[in-house]
Amino acid sequence: MIARVAGGGGKGDSRIPVEDRLFSLVLALLATETGLLKAEILSTVRGYAERFDTSGQNANLERQFERDKDDIRELGIPLETVESPDRPGDNQALRYRIPKGQYDLPDEVRFTPDELALLGLAAEVWREASLSADSQRALTKLRSLGIEPRDPVIGYAPRLRVRDAAFEPLRQALDRRQTVRFRYFKPGEPEARLRTVNPLAVILHESRWHLHAFDLDANGPRTFLLSRIIKAVTPVAGSTFEAPPAGIQDRVIAELNELRLRNSADLAVTAGSDAEVRLGKRAVEGDEDAGVIRLHYTDAAVLADELAAYGPEVRVLSPESLREAVRERLRAVAAAHRDGVEEAS
Amino acid sequence: MAKRTKPLKAPDKLVFLLSFVPYLLEQRVVDVAEAAQHFGMTEEEIRDAVRLIATSGLPGATGTYQPNDLFDIDWDSFEDDDVIVIVHHVAIDDAPRLSAREAAALIAGLQYLSASPENASSASLASLMAKLTAGASAAPSRLAVAETEADSSLAVIRSAVTGGRQLEFDYRNALGQAGRRRVDPLRILSQDADWYLQAYCHTREDVRNFRVDRMSGLAVTEVPIDDHSDREVPDTLFQVSDSDLDVVVDVAPETIPLLADYLADSTSVEVDGRMRVTLRLAHVHGLKRLVAGLPGLVTVVAPAEARAVVAEWATAGLAGYGDEAPPLGDENGAETPDR
Repeated sequence: MIARVAGGGGKGDSRIPVEDRLFSLVLALLATETGLLKAEILSTVRGYAERFDTSGQNANLERQFERDKDDIRELGIPLETVESPDRPGDNQALRYRIPKGQYDLPDEVRFTPDELALLGLAAEVWREASLSADSQRALTKLRSLGIEPRDPVIGYAPRLRVRDAAFEPLRQALDRRQTVRFRYFKPGEPEARLRTVNPLAVILHESRWHLHAFDLDANGPRTFLLSRIIKAVTPVAGSTFEAPPAGIQDRVIAELNELRLRNSADLAVTAGSDAEVRLGKRAVEGDEDAGVIRLHYTDAAVLADELAAYGPEVRVLSPESLREAVRERLRAVAAAHRDGVEEAS
Repeated sequence: MAKRTKPLKAPDKLVFLLSFVPYLLEQRVVDVAEAAQHFGMTEEEIRDAVRLIATSGLPGATGTYQPNDLFDIDWDSFEDDDVIVIVHHVAIDDAPRLSAREAAALIAGLQYLSASPENASSASLASLMAKLTAGASAAPSRLAVAETEADSSLAVIRSAVTGGRQLEFDYRNALGQAGRRRVDPLRILSQDADWYLQAYCHTREDVRNFRVDRMSGLAVTEVPIDDHSDREVPDTLFQVSDSDLDVVVDVAPETIPLLADYLADSTSVEVDGRMRVTLRLAHVHGLKRLVAGLPGLVTVVAPAEARAVVAEWATAGLAGYGDEAPPLGDENGAETPDR
């Protein structure tokens, strides 16, 4: 056997790696049916036991245990807390365990080599750190099944980035069913307004991330664009909510699609221009001779930004509000870049 | 297999250990090299993990980690032949479930892929998503990617890439120059909603990125592509070259992530509540589109020619509406319908 550094040198001497302590904790909690008391865990499980003070000065170690529990739960491991029937509400009598039936991947969840190759590609989609880490962890877990994926798809690298700062805090709030607050700028309103919402779903639609949430002030569901959330998303301490119904995201996507179909814009595009080629691909109707195309859109402000980028290559014929929005944008850009003007006024 | 550049964090190492044990049990006898290949780890990482597992276990009734409460391996095979055999195991034997977040990340990734021609039928995607949901310890978080209509050119390009055939198409670049191109397609890349083909262009005699939505008149030829294995195909879409143009701009701080591809360096100075940064672009034609597409959020400071190009672009756009030179001090946001 390889000699293991045991905690013989007294408290603080032993340096058990974190993963070793977490691994030992998971094994101990999986092996127990009835659950272990915190005192039992701290005094016997490797990584804690070496630092356990029998005279009872274990505040640091207890905090360590609290953090470890959170880390383990974040990984999807069902770490349970069981109250003592005799001493309800007594924290010292709480027992901890991981029920094996809820830990093991169900038998029917098995994957073919083709499916694993597809999942590998799906994991590669994410450039954003936390989504990428989550995907990679999932793949590691699935590798335990010992199935070799079909050869990775070569010559093919689809990538999705998340550039909205609000994304990660909202995704966390979604998982924890945590009420949050943020300032939201809605076009047409003079300034960003504070919103308090229960986040229900986060959806990528037409290249923009949307939050569907229950707005507590408006007392109704609302959909927000993440790019219009100003500054931080902060959790509202102690306020959580019930899980939304399954498939809520599909319903929201259907609503966004409906909204998109209700809005249509007629555009005049310059023949042979970038606008003609690129916007033309999205056209639902078009008259090539007249150089006019029609396309649907979800959000007028978002489309106006995009159309402004094409400068003289595109002209909005209708609706009037979109036409005006694009003109406003072009005016602002022209004004900010006129000679001799140092800053945008 | 997965490549990894950063060291794993403790939770990732834990996930690996919990996944490695059932793998070893299932395989019964595994070479270190084979295991390393399967998990995308180094052989030394695998050996370290085996040593850790072999000395781990349960505190047991006495709380003293007695041999019977520990994992054990065939040490002779391990030390002499680099072969792993678990001879005694405790507590775990099955793969762990996915977390709600993990399942959601893969499901949303699959939804994004479903927009591409690569994909298997939607029925098999749906069954794969259902399996991920069943394999999660809680309902996957409500994260979704709406299906978009795939550019029909993609399927054609895809067949040229897999078949290793030259591809011809009409292409109009950002400068507005159009022409027929003949290329050796190498790789399809996407960034969010935009698809690109990385290809060796016979016209330009160099590897170029082509936007799929700027292509038309595609034709897959019978001519096989040349061998480009010695050629470096960049991993990213945007590369810096010496001929590039440096432009100083002032941007709203929250807009910086949208310009990440173009930042020349990481330096920035605050000027009147905005950040002054330097962008590097291939030419001013790209700049005018970029700046006009972020109206009010980005202002070009220097050089003067770049400012002029942007001003002309916007003014030309306004001329289409019969507008005169813009009035000064007009900075109001546009009227937009409620959502």
